[in-house]
Amino acid sequence: MSDISADAPTGLPVDMSSDRAPDTPMTAASQGLASCHICLKLADADHHLCPRCGAALHLRKSNSVERTLALLFTACVLYIPANLLPIMITDQLGQPTPSTIIGGVVLLIDMGSIAIAGIIFFASVMIPSSKLAMMFYLCWSVRNGPPETARQRTVLYRITEFVGKWSMIDVFVVAILVALINLTNLIVIHPGTATVAFAAVVMVSMVAAESFDPRLMWDQRESNDE
Amino acid sequence: MECDLKIINEETGTSLDDYVACPSCDVIFDISILKDGESARCSRCGHFLSTYRADETSRVIAYSSSALILLVLACSYPFMSFKASGLESLMTLPQTALNLLRDGMPGLAFLVAAFIIFIPALVLVLILVLNVALHNERHYHWLRPVGRLIYTLQNWCMVEVFFIGVLVSLVKVGNMATVVMGLSFWAYAVFSLLFILSLSGLDRAQCWRRIERLQS
Repeated sequence: MSDISADAPTGLPVDMSSDRAPDTPMTAASQGLASCHICLKLADADHHLCPRCGAALHLRKSNSVERTLALLFTACVLYIPANLLPIMITDQLGQPTPSTIIGGVVLLIDMGSIAIAGIIFFASVMIPSSKLAMMFYLCWSVRNGPPETARQRTVLYRITEFVGKWSMIDVFVVAILVALINLTNLIVIHPGTATVAFAAVVMVSMVAAESFDPRLMWDQRESNDE
Repeated sequence: MECDLKIINEETGTSLDDYVACPSCDVIFDISILKDGESARCSRCGHFLSTYRADETSRVIAYSSSALILLVLACSYPFMSFKASGLESLMTLPQTALNLLRDGMPGLAFLVAAFIIFIPALVLVLILVLNVALHNERHYHWLRPVGRLIYTLQNWCMVEVFFIGVLVSLVKVGNMATVVMGLSFWAYAVFSLLFILSLSGLDRAQCWRRIERLQS
């Protein structure tokens, strides 16, 4: 796929026979085309709205890195109360015991269920915190990362994007336990304030992942090639 | 079956409508050459691009309509029951949100209800309506906003996450008391599966190409 014939396919508004390096694949941006994030339509970047679906059209997501960083800092701030405040309160025989995320893991280790404690530690502590760290790294790498790793970083981005909503498990577990364990005078579970903070962390970091534009990492590589 | 896409089709006769740019790295591909059952990935970064299925609309109609029926079942029967010291408490699916409301967390109750019931139900109805229109090749002025809404909301459906959450809670509670699964539990399990099938069956690029063809 080195050479593109001079008689460009009908409908392409630009001359395809521009002088690109032989093995650089043709990108939409290099042809002045923007790809719609909703319907994948390719349209002239001058359009403000996608001609097919009507969504806002941008060559690249606007202020992607700045927006992502701002949301990541918000998520980090919210992550503090999410871990310090109780995630649920177990009311056993009128004796309320609050427990935090880490406290729940410690309790499971004390009870001897090491495997379950491991899974829960992994899902509710490791994944959310490493996801935030990954996104910080990706934002940093847009300008400073090694260009040859663009593909690996794209995969990394897609993993963090996919993992995003799975952190919501903890919030759902609390909601389920609150609804399920409801024996008045014996044992009742109440949701703790950390649940709200934790749900906010998950949602803010989902929006952060969504506002990051992986194509910037490839743009950096292409501008280095020139 | 995977199809190796040429980066761009040099032959004339293709138009801008046949191309998509990889959402991850922006390379342009011609997806009009995909045959029935073939799917395509970006050759530079590996991002999934599109699958073409001639019977996509009828498949999606089948999945989404059965998923909707199962969601109604899942909301109307007991989900799980919990027994300890001769006492029993029963939980239904809407109660996961309603009990949070009772405990003074209306915001959280709203989010849980939205993520596991309302947004998925809305997305399914929209997918069903859109695909019935596409299947009958009828053009309506609301096809565009409906399509846009489906693709805006689909990130916020957490059906499968909730189901794994149910399994985690079973493990957590399982050794301290008896937990019995109700009809709703099984309905929701099948619902999650059908929900994923209807979302993944609806190919973004192909669905919009169908809408575009009806518009012209």
